Amino acid sequence: MAQSHATAQAHGGGGGHATVATYLRIAVVLAIVTALEISLIYIPGLPSHVLVASLIVMSIVKFALVVGFYMHLRYDAKLLTALFVGPLTIACAIILALMALFGAFLLLPRS
Amino acid sequence: MTSQAASHAEHDPNIGITGLDHRKMGMWAFLGSECMFFGSLIGTYLSYKGKSLSGPTPHEILNIPLTSVSAFVLLMSSVLMVLALAAVQRNDMKWAKIWLFSTATLGAGFVGFQIFEFTHFVHLGLTLQTNLFGSTFFTLTGFHGAHVTGGVIWLLALWALAVRGKLGPEDALKVEICGLYWHFVDIVWIAIFTLVYLIP
Repeated sequence: MAQSHATAQAHGGGGGHATVATYLRIAVVLAIVTALEISLIYIPGLPSHVLVASLIVMSIVKFALVVGFYMHLRYDAKLLTALFVGPLTIACAIILALMALFGAFLLLPRS
Repeated sequence: MTSQAASHAEHDPNIGITGLDHRKMGMWAFLGSECMFFGSLIGTYLSYKGKSLSGPTPHEILNIPLTSVSAFVLLMSSVLMVLALAAVQRNDMKWAKIWLFSTATLGAGFVGFQIFEFTHFVHLGLTLQTNLFGSTFFTLTGFHGAHVTGGVIWLLALWALAVRGKLGPEDALKVEICGLYWHFVDIVWIAIFTLVYLIP
Protein backbone atom coordinates (compact mmCIF):
# COMPACT_ATOMS: atom_id res chain seq x y z
CA MET A 1 0.00 0.00 0.00
CA ALA A 2 1.58 3.22 -1.17
CA GLN A 3 0.04 5.16 1.64
CA SER A 4 1.89 3.17 4.24
CA HIS A 5 5.10 4.86 3.14
CA ALA A 6 3.73 8.34 3.50
CA THR A 7 4.99 10.38 6.37
CA ALA A 8 2.83 12.84 8.24
CA GLN A 9 4.29 16.30 7.95
CA ALA A 10 4.97 18.72 10.73
CA HIS A 11 2.48 21.54 11.16
CA GLY A 12 2.13 24.52 13.41
CA GLY A 13 5.57 24.21 14.94
CA GLY A 14 5.24 20.53 15.78
CA GLY A 15 7.15 17.57 14.40
CA GLY A 16 4.62 14.89 13.41
CA HIS A 17 6.68 11.90 12.32
CA ALA A 18 4.22 9.02 12.71
CA THR A 19 3.75 7.05 9.50
CA VAL A 20 0.48 5.68 8.17
CA ALA A 21 1.77 2.22 9.09
CA THR A 22 2.10 3.43 12.70
CA TYR A 23 -1.45 4.78 12.62
CA LEU A 24 -2.72 1.39 11.45
CA ARG A 25 -0.73 -0.49 14.11
CA ILE A 26 -2.22 1.80 16.77
CA ALA A 27 -5.69 1.11 15.33
CA VAL A 28 -5.17 -2.65 15.77
CA VAL A 29 -4.01 -2.13 19.37
CA LEU A 30 -7.04 0.09 20.08
CA ALA A 31 -9.40 -2.54 18.64
CA ILE A 32 -7.78 -5.32 20.70
CA VAL A 33 -7.91 -3.31 23.93
CA THR A 34 -11.57 -2.41 23.29
CA ALA A 35 -12.39 -6.09 22.71
CA LEU A 36 -10.59 -6.98 25.95
CA GLU A 37 -12.53 -4.32 27.86
CA ILE A 38 -15.87 -5.63 26.64
CA SER A 39 -15.01 -9.29 27.20
CA LEU A 40 -13.79 -8.55 30.73
CA ILE A 41 -17.25 -7.57 31.96
CA TYR A 42 -18.64 -10.97 30.93
CA ILE A 43 -16.15 -12.97 33.00
CA PRO A 44 -18.16 -14.46 35.87
CA GLY A 45 -16.83 -14.17 39.41
CA LEU A 46 -14.23 -11.50 38.64
CA PRO A 47 -13.77 -9.37 41.80
CA SER A 48 -15.21 -5.91 41.22
CA HIS A 49 -12.02 -4.08 42.31
CA VAL A 50 -10.01 -6.09 39.75
CA LEU A 51 -12.61 -5.38 37.06
CA VAL A 52 -12.76 -1.65 37.80
CA ALA A 53 -8.96 -1.29 38.00
CA SER A 54 -8.46 -3.22 34.75
CA LEU A 55 -11.09 -1.21 32.89
CA ILE A 56 -9.63 2.10 34.05
CA VAL A 57 -6.07 1.07 33.11
CA MET A 58 -7.21 -0.07 29.65
CA SER A 59 -9.14 3.14 29.02
CA ILE A 60 -6.07 5.18 30.08
CA VAL A 61 -3.98 3.17 27.58
CA LYS A 62 -6.48 3.91 24.78
CA PHE A 63 -6.67 7.57 25.79
CA ALA A 64 -2.87 7.91 25.80
CA LEU A 65 -2.47 6.18 22.42
CA VAL A 66 -5.01 8.46 20.73
CA VAL A 67 -3.60 11.63 22.31
CA GLY A 68 0.02 10.64 21.76
CA PHE A 69 -0.13 9.32 18.20
CA TYR A 70 -3.35 10.44 16.51
CA MET A 71 -3.27 13.92 18.05
CA HIS A 72 0.54 13.98 17.54
CA LEU A 73 1.21 15.22 21.07
CA ARG A 74 4.10 12.76 21.32
CA TYR A 75 5.86 14.60 18.48
CA ASP A 76 4.63 18.16 19.08
CA ALA A 77 5.97 21.01 21.19
CA LYS A 78 5.95 20.55 24.97
CA LEU A 79 3.90 23.73 25.34
CA LEU A 80 0.97 22.03 23.60
CA THR A 81 1.28 19.09 26.00
CA ALA A 82 1.17 21.53 28.92
CA LEU A 83 -1.88 23.28 27.45
CA PHE A 84 -3.74 19.95 27.44
CA VAL A 85 -2.37 18.03 30.42
CA GLY A 86 -2.77 20.97 32.83
CA PRO A 87 -6.56 21.29 32.37
CA LEU A 88 -6.86 17.48 32.14
CA THR A 89 -5.29 17.22 35.61
CA ILE A 90 -7.74 19.83 36.92
CA ALA A 91 -10.60 17.85 35.32
CA CYS A 92 -9.48 14.67 37.12
CA ALA A 93 -9.27 16.65 40.38
CA ILE A 94 -12.82 17.96 39.79
CA ILE A 95 -14.12 14.40 39.31
CA LEU A 96 -12.42 13.14 42.48
CA ALA A 97 -13.50 16.19 44.51
CA LEU A 98 -17.14 15.85 43.42
CA MET A 99 -17.11 12.14 44.24
CA ALA A 100 -15.58 12.84 47.65
CA LEU A 101 -18.18 15.58 48.33
CA PHE A 102 -21.00 13.16 47.56
CA GLY A 103 -19.61 10.38 49.73
CA ALA A 104 -18.28 8.00 47.08
CA PHE A 105 -15.14 7.35 49.12
CA LEU A 106 -16.78 6.94 52.55
CA LEU A 107 -15.06 4.11 54.39
CA LEU A 108 -17.35 4.30 57.41
CA PRO A 109 -21.13 4.73 57.40
CA ARG A 110 -22.45 8.19 58.20
CA SER A 111 -23.53 8.55 61.84
CA MET B 1 12.50 32.81 20.93
CA THR B 2 15.06 31.44 18.53
CA SER B 3 16.25 33.48 15.55
CA GLN B 4 14.73 30.84 13.25
CA ALA B 5 11.35 31.16 14.95
CA ALA B 6 11.59 34.96 14.85
CA SER B 7 12.35 34.86 11.14
CA HIS B 8 9.39 32.56 10.55
CA ALA B 9 7.15 34.81 12.64
CA GLU B 10 8.03 37.82 10.47
CA HIS B 11 6.70 36.02 7.40
CA ASP B 12 3.68 34.22 8.79
CA PRO B 13 1.23 36.24 10.92
CA ASN B 14 -0.14 32.99 12.38
CA ILE B 15 3.17 32.13 14.05
CA GLY B 16 3.56 33.73 17.47
CA ILE B 17 6.57 34.34 19.73
CA THR B 18 6.43 30.71 20.84
CA GLY B 19 7.15 29.60 17.28
CA LEU B 20 3.82 27.74 17.25
CA ASP B 21 0.79 28.43 15.10
CA HIS B 22 -1.85 30.49 16.95
CA ARG B 23 -4.68 28.40 15.50
CA LYS B 24 -3.21 25.14 16.73
CA MET B 25 -2.41 26.58 20.16
CA GLY B 26 -5.94 27.99 20.32
CA MET B 27 -7.43 24.58 19.57
CA TRP B 28 -5.31 22.89 22.26
CA ALA B 29 -6.33 25.58 24.79
CA PHE B 30 -9.98 25.04 23.79
CA LEU B 31 -9.60 21.28 24.21
CA GLY B 32 -8.11 21.88 27.65
CA SER B 33 -11.22 23.86 28.63
CA GLU B 34 -13.37 21.08 27.17
CA CYS B 35 -11.57 18.60 29.44
CA MET B 36 -12.77 20.59 32.46
CA PHE B 37 -16.29 20.83 31.01
CA PHE B 38 -16.61 17.09 30.50
CA GLY B 39 -14.75 16.45 33.76
CA SER B 40 -17.52 18.32 35.58
CA LEU B 41 -20.25 16.35 33.81
CA ILE B 42 -18.53 12.99 34.41
CA GLY B 43 -17.88 13.92 38.05
CA THR B 44 -21.56 14.80 38.51
CA TYR B 45 -22.66 11.52 36.93
CA LEU B 46 -20.36 9.49 39.16
CA SER B 47 -21.36 11.47 42.25
CA TYR B 48 -25.04 10.71 41.73
CA LYS B 49 -24.45 7.11 40.62
CA GLY B 50 -26.59 4.70 42.63
CA LYS B 51 -28.48 7.54 44.37
CA SER B 52 -31.66 7.48 42.27
CA LEU B 53 -34.78 6.93 44.39
CA SER B 54 -36.70 5.27 41.54
CA GLY B 55 -35.94 3.33 38.36
CA PRO B 56 -35.00 2.67 35.67
CA THR B 57 -31.44 2.10 36.86
CA PRO B 58 -28.33 1.78 34.63
CA HIS B 59 -28.20 -1.98 35.20
CA GLU B 60 -31.78 -2.38 33.95
CA ILE B 61 -31.55 -0.18 30.89
CA LEU B 62 -28.04 0.14 29.41
CA ASN B 63 -27.45 -1.94 26.28
CA ILE B 64 -23.73 -2.73 26.39
CA PRO B 65 -23.47 -4.78 23.14
CA LEU B 66 -25.11 -1.97 21.14
CA THR B 67 -22.99 0.73 22.76
CA SER B 68 -19.84 -1.36 22.21
CA VAL B 69 -20.55 -1.30 18.47
CA SER B 70 -21.07 2.47 18.48
CA ALA B 71 -17.89 2.98 20.58
CA PHE B 72 -15.95 0.88 18.07
CA VAL B 73 -17.40 2.90 15.19
CA LEU B 74 -16.25 6.18 16.77
CA LEU B 75 -12.82 4.72 17.57
CA MET B 76 -12.33 3.61 13.97
CA SER B 77 -13.42 7.01 12.71
CA SER B 78 -10.32 8.40 14.43
CA VAL B 79 -8.18 6.07 12.30
CA LEU B 80 -9.85 7.36 9.12
CA MET B 81 -9.27 10.94 10.31
CA VAL B 82 -5.49 10.47 10.56
CA LEU B 83 -5.51 8.78 7.15
CA ALA B 84 -7.36 11.85 5.76
CA LEU B 85 -4.73 14.18 7.24
CA ALA B 86 -1.87 12.08 5.86
CA ALA B 87 -3.54 12.09 2.40
CA VAL B 88 -3.95 15.89 2.43
CA GLN B 89 -0.33 16.34 3.51
CA ARG B 90 0.95 14.29 0.55
CA ASN B 91 -1.50 16.03 -1.84
CA ASP B 92 -3.44 12.83 -2.51
CA MET B 93 -6.80 14.59 -2.71
CA LYS B 94 -8.69 11.59 -4.08
CA TRP B 95 -8.02 9.60 -0.90
CA ALA B 96 -8.36 12.72 1.27
CA LYS B 97 -11.94 13.12 0.03
CA ILE B 98 -12.67 9.42 0.62
CA TRP B 99 -11.25 9.42 4.16
CA LEU B 100 -12.90 12.72 5.14
CA PHE B 101 -16.30 11.53 3.94
CA SER B 102 -15.84 8.11 5.58
CA THR B 103 -14.93 9.76 8.88
CA ALA B 104 -18.04 11.94 8.70
CA THR B 105 -20.14 8.87 7.84
CA LEU B 106 -18.88 6.91 10.84
CA GLY B 107 -19.48 9.97 13.03
CA ALA B 108 -23.03 10.25 11.70
CA GLY B 109 -23.44 6.53 12.38
CA PHE B 110 -22.42 7.08 16.00
CA VAL B 111 -24.97 9.89 16.33
CA GLY B 112 -27.57 7.55 14.80
CA PHE B 113 -26.80 4.90 17.44
CA GLN B 114 -27.19 7.56 20.12
CA ILE B 115 -30.53 8.80 18.77
CA PHE B 116 -31.77 5.20 18.71
CA GLU B 117 -30.55 4.65 22.30
CA PHE B 118 -32.14 7.85 23.59
CA THR B 119 -35.46 7.07 21.86
CA HIS B 120 -35.42 3.53 23.27
CA PHE B 121 -34.73 4.81 26.79
CA VAL B 122 -37.58 7.31 26.58
CA HIS B 123 -39.91 4.48 25.54
CA LEU B 124 -38.71 2.51 28.58
CA GLY B 125 -39.61 5.44 30.82
CA LEU B 126 -36.22 7.12 31.32
CA THR B 127 -36.20 10.85 30.61
CA LEU B 128 -34.25 13.87 31.89
CA GLN B 129 -36.85 14.29 34.65
CA THR B 130 -37.27 10.64 35.71
CA ASN B 131 -34.47 10.33 38.25
CA LEU B 132 -30.86 11.37 38.99
CA PHE B 133 -29.54 8.73 36.59
CA GLY B 134 -31.70 10.07 33.75
CA SER B 135 -30.69 13.69 34.40
CA THR B 136 -26.95 13.04 34.57
CA PHE B 137 -26.87 10.39 31.82
CA PHE B 138 -28.76 12.42 29.22
CA THR B 139 -26.84 15.61 30.05
CA LEU B 140 -23.43 13.93 29.79
CA THR B 141 -24.03 11.78 26.72
CA GLY B 142 -26.24 14.45 25.08
CA PHE B 143 -23.49 17.06 25.26
CA HIS B 144 -21.05 14.52 23.85
CA GLY B 145 -23.45 13.71 21.02
CA ALA B 146 -23.80 17.43 20.27
CA HIS B 147 -20.00 17.68 20.03
CA VAL B 148 -19.90 14.71 17.62
CA THR B 149 -22.63 16.35 15.51
CA GLY B 150 -20.57 19.55 15.35
CA GLY B 151 -17.55 17.50 14.30
CA VAL B 152 -19.54 15.78 11.53
CA ILE B 153 -20.63 19.18 10.16
CA TRP B 154 -17.00 20.40 10.28
CA LEU B 155 -15.79 17.26 8.45
CA LEU B 156 -18.46 17.60 5.78
CA ALA B 157 -17.48 21.25 5.28
CA LEU B 158 -13.85 20.19 4.72
CA TRP B 159 -14.99 17.42 2.38
CA ALA B 160 -17.11 19.93 0.40
CA LEU B 161 -14.05 22.20 0.08
CA ALA B 162 -12.00 19.23 -1.14
CA VAL B 163 -14.69 18.28 -3.69
CA ARG B 164 -14.68 21.86 -5.03
CA GLY B 165 -10.88 21.78 -5.30
CA LYS B 166 -10.43 24.38 -2.57
CA LEU B 167 -8.50 22.15 -0.16
CA GLY B 168 -4.86 21.30 -0.77
CA PRO B 169 -1.69 20.42 1.10
CA GLU B 170 -1.30 24.11 2.07
CA ASP B 171 -4.53 23.67 4.07
CA ALA B 172 -3.26 20.64 5.99
CA LEU B 173 -3.30 22.60 9.25
CA LYS B 174 -7.06 23.18 8.84
CA VAL B 175 -7.55 19.41 8.53
CA GLU B 176 -5.18 18.78 11.45
CA ILE B 177 -7.11 21.19 13.72
CA CYS B 178 -10.41 19.53 12.75
CA GLY B 179 -8.69 16.20 13.46
CA LEU B 180 -7.64 17.37 16.93
CA TYR B 181 -11.27 18.18 17.71
CA TRP B 182 -12.44 14.85 16.27
CA HIS B 183 -9.91 12.81 18.26
CA PHE B 184 -10.92 14.73 21.36
CA VAL B 185 -14.57 13.68 21.07
CA ASP B 186 -13.25 10.13 20.62
CA ILE B 187 -11.16 10.21 23.82
CA VAL B 188 -14.09 11.69 25.76
CA TRP B 189 -16.16 8.71 24.63
CA ILE B 190 -13.37 6.34 25.69
CA ALA B 191 -13.79 7.76 29.21
CA ILE B 192 -17.61 7.81 29.11
CA PHE B 193 -17.84 4.28 27.72
CA THR B 194 -15.73 2.89 30.55
CA LEU B 195 -17.10 4.98 33.42
CA VAL B 196 -20.80 4.96 32.45
CA TYR B 197 -21.33 1.72 30.55
CA LEU B 198 -18.67 -0.82 31.52
CA ILE B 199 -18.01 -0.20 35.23
CA PRO B 200 -20.87 -1.83 37.14
